[in-house]
Amino acid sequence: MRCVRLIFLSVLLGMYASHAQNKQLLYDFYEIPQSLMLNPGVKTPYKWHVGLPLLSGTSIQAGSSGISVNDIFANDGIDFTTKFRERVINGLTKRDVFGGSGQIEVFSVGFRNANRPSDYYSFGVYGEGFIAQYWPRDLAILAFEGNANNLNRRFDLNHFSTQGEAVNVFHFGINRKLNKKWIVGARAKLYSSVFEFKSVNNDGYFVTTQGENNILRNTIVADVTMHTSGVESLFDILLDDDVAQSIELPKWLLGRSLLGGNLGLGLDFGFTYNVGKNSYITASIIDVGFIYHTNDVKNYRLSGAATNEGIEIVLPDDLNDLNTDIWQDLVDDIERQVPFTTDDNSFFSLRPTKLNASFRYNFGSYRALGKDCDCTTRPSVKSEDFDYKNAVGGHLFMIHRPRGPQAAVTAFYQTRFGRSLALKTTYTADKYSFTNVGLGLNLQTGPVNFYIMADNLLSYQNIPASNYASLQFGFNIISWNDN
Amino acid sequence: MIRYKMKNHLLGLALLLTNVVFLSSCADEQDFDQFDDLSVEPLVASSIFYFESDEQTINQAGPGAFYNQNFTFEAFNQPFVSERVLEGTIVYQVENTTSKELSISIAFLDANGAVLDVESFIVPPEPAPLIERQIAYGTAGRSLDILRNTTDIRVSGENLGDTTSTSSLNEPKIILRSSAEFRLRLQ
Repeated sequence: MRCVRLIFLSVLLGMYASHAQNKQLLYDFYEIPQSLMLNPGVKTPYKWHVGLPLLSGTSIQAGSSGISVNDIFANDGIDFTTKFRERVINGLTKRDVFGGSGQIEVFSVGFRNANRPSDYYSFGVYGEGFIAQYWPRDLAILAFEGNANNLNRRFDLNHFSTQGEAVNVFHFGINRKLNKKWIVGARAKLYSSVFEFKSVNNDGYFVTTQGENNILRNTIVADVTMHTSGVESLFDILLDDDVAQSIELPKWLLGRSLLGGNLGLGLDFGFTYNVGKNSYITASIIDVGFIYHTNDVKNYRLSGAATNEGIEIVLPDDLNDLNTDIWQDLVDDIERQVPFTTDDNSFFSLRPTKLNASFRYNFGSYRALGKDCDCTTRPSVKSEDFDYKNAVGGHLFMIHRPRGPQAAVTAFYQTRFGRSLALKTTYTADKYSFTNVGLGLNLQTGPVNFYIMADNLLSYQNIPASNYASLQFGFNIISWNDN
Repeated sequence: MIRYKMKNHLLGLALLLTNVVFLSSCADEQDFDQFDDLSVEPLVASSIFYFESDEQTINQAGPGAFYNQNFTFEAFNQPFVSERVLEGTIVYQVENTTSKELSISIAFLDANGAVLDVESFIVPPEPAPLIERQIAYGTAGRSLDILRNTTDIRVSGENLGDTTSTSSLNEPKIILRSSAEFRLRLQ
């Protein structure tokens, strides 16, 4: 029971761990070097930048569609089983998803090519992970109600869909200003998978019908696969009481993070194009790549078809089989018809590719921003580094998920207060929320850059009732371009 | 100097806004212990066994028992079932299209061969109606320990009539069908 509770809570609270990997506040916020990770072709007004190790870019996001923690756990006096049946079992659909993602930059460095000032190079290492768990509606109904009162109802096994991973990424990117209109960029990535599990595109069903001979007939048709890598060795450490976890776990994590796990390759592409004097469009495609899993792989598969009407004794045919263990025969038949197998075959996994696109219009006199001030701590930003005082625009985000792409659209307004402070506010609509207002703040004091961004601020009135939340922050040291 | 002060005010305002957002956040009271009250009790159903004999086989066996066989049946005593079962119902259906009266009995046996429960049917010759009987186990019926300890089932068939007659119906038979419904407590 405790285990069931922990699993359920972790799934529900997973919405507070992180989610859809949309970073609409950071996207095209080019005062912040981490915006290069969302569009390698973003504007780069820096001479060089160095992220504070482990503190330059931390983000967590969380989301759930269809339900919030408050819907279930509010202390409202309603019988919990009734709430659970109405809001979870009958309320959620197979398209509802719980998920989260997190990212932490280990280090991040960028510099402008002295011989070719139009090129800006950036490289670094970051770790990230995500989990996306679709609600297994039919399986949940089967577990909650059983099959007795659901005759002829097919419980679809394809409702089971889950995916998660942790990966360390080594990357190097080039950003090039081609001319006054075009900036393009590309980034190469080497993935070192720490662990991954994936069970998607399953098929099959379980159904109970009236029997042909006996009263009931149970039928299962299954094609369910779970691929894992790195999971077995992790559980070996976690479940073995004789292992010193405080020593072995970091060793395991470090080993698999530093190219000791499974490796893969990926690419990012992006551009910025000036449409007119004050407006431009951007687009990027991130994580076009794969990981090839060859070590510490374990795959599980349930595949086949079987029907069962219980033990059958038909005379006179079975008079000759009086000594046969017909129970064991029945069990063996089912196991032969729907075998549960494991193997360690290598497998590919495609990266969760993300697409960004935006349109932006700048207005207001930005040149006034460059005037000298009497500050005792003077920002190092120069007058031509930024091309706006105010900006408005829209942003589209899409990510590939097992049940098709998930999309989010954002409208944003961005403004600068002098050369030290920039604010960005966003309104985002996606399947998790239609009331998502976010706020991002970028501060520049001398060479020190600090940013913090949070999503779905209206939900802070009652956090458990939220369907989505995110937070990201970081510190950088930046040297801005000379004019 | 004025600009410097203004800038500080703006910075202060921004930090204040940030603090307001994060520090003024609040939450309705949550009670995660409610999960302990969750009751997940599905009603699961499956056929148990099917027995069929044609009339010719019954006649050839002669007077008295024409079938008596024990077989292993370990569905009820599986830990997943025996540790979670709250109540159960076993449904029997008996259909006789032979020309003779027959007796069918089903006995549940434990691992030592001791009889835990017996259900018997005396079935008149055709045209006999379909006999259906539901046996409840649990609070409203017989002890659940019968099911929990059952490892074998004995099916017996006895001819209470003659050994020569044959029904005029097409393919005369005695048929015993059975199924079980269990309410299990998963949580």
